Amino acid sequence: MRSFAIFVILCSAGSLTQLRAQISVQGGNPLMSVTTGTAGAQPVSVTNAATSLRWRKQNVITKITVSTSCPGQRFTLTVLATNLTYGVAAPQVTLFNGMPATNFVLNIPTGNPVHKTCTLQYTASATFAQGNSAELGNDVHAITYTLVAQ
Amino acid sequence: MKNHLHIVVNRVWKTAAMAVLLMNGTARAQVYGTGGHTVTMQVSVITSVRVTVGSVNLNISSANVVAGQNQMSVTDQSTSLLWGTNSSLRKVSVSTSLAAPKFTLKLLALNPTVGNAAPQVTLSTSAQDLLLNIGRSSGSCTLLYTGIALASQGTGNDVHVITFTVAAQ
Repeated sequence: MRSFAIFVILCSAGSLTQLRAQISVQGGNPLMSVTTGTAGAQPVSVTNAATSLRWRKQNVITKITVSTSCPGQRFTLTVLATNLTYGVAAPQVTLFNGMPATNFVLNIPTGNPVHKTCTLQYTASATFAQGNSAELGNDVHAITYTLVAQ
Repeated sequence: MKNHLHIVVNRVWKTAAMAVLLMNGTARAQVYGTGGHTVTMQVSVITSVRVTVGSVNLNISSANVVAGQNQMSVTDQSTSLLWGTNSSLRKVSVSTSLAAPKFTLKLLALNPTVGNAAPQVTLSTSAQDLLLNIGRSSGSCTLLYTGIALASQGTGNDVHVITFTVAAQ
């Protein structure tokens, strides 16, 4: 029975290591600042494309989903996959706290190269009515990308 | 008996091992991995205010004269004020650069899309309330200028540089 328990632990540990290695975000944690606005219109949105997503090929057609956790969210953040050479980018996704996993990249083929990438293009926007961070605090999104079979 | 127990334990072990392998295989078929990072979004204090077109000319001429009355007046509402502020509890105040005007110039905010218009103000170098309660909004209003001259004041020109300011209320 002891060897069985060790076997289960090894299987689980192996699976977790493998899950972590299959997909990762490159380029760190962006800070996006909305700083200007137009009278009679709205603050000017800002875009950040400094980070990217890297994942391994699988033996079946896969897709990538995105979700976020941002308690007390005040402002608007969207993400779009660009510079995608394998698979099809889903339409721009609006990220909101507690959202279900939403399609981000679809129809990722099984063939080489082993590692595939895309640029993460974030757009941050706010309305005047939504206020400012000095009064309300920043929005901090913990964003998760998941590689799943399609 | 001992042999029988050994066979039972062996069967349990094999069945459990197969179950783990099957479950593991199923998980791989569904989710291959996760990755993520943190994105922080910051919005600065933003305040913007502007007037739609440039100069306003108020010309009091014989057409504005009413026989028997000393006071003559003319109005203009060809310009609008636009603003945007993402701070709470804000108002718009107005002032003029002309310290000693010969004639009287008054201003009223008409039909504000957000907030409340203050009563008509006579422009001076001191900031006076034009609009109240506009906090965290993007809006506009029509600027209604009224130029007033008395016949006894004679002729001349007053040139005002008017400043609109979004301020804490």
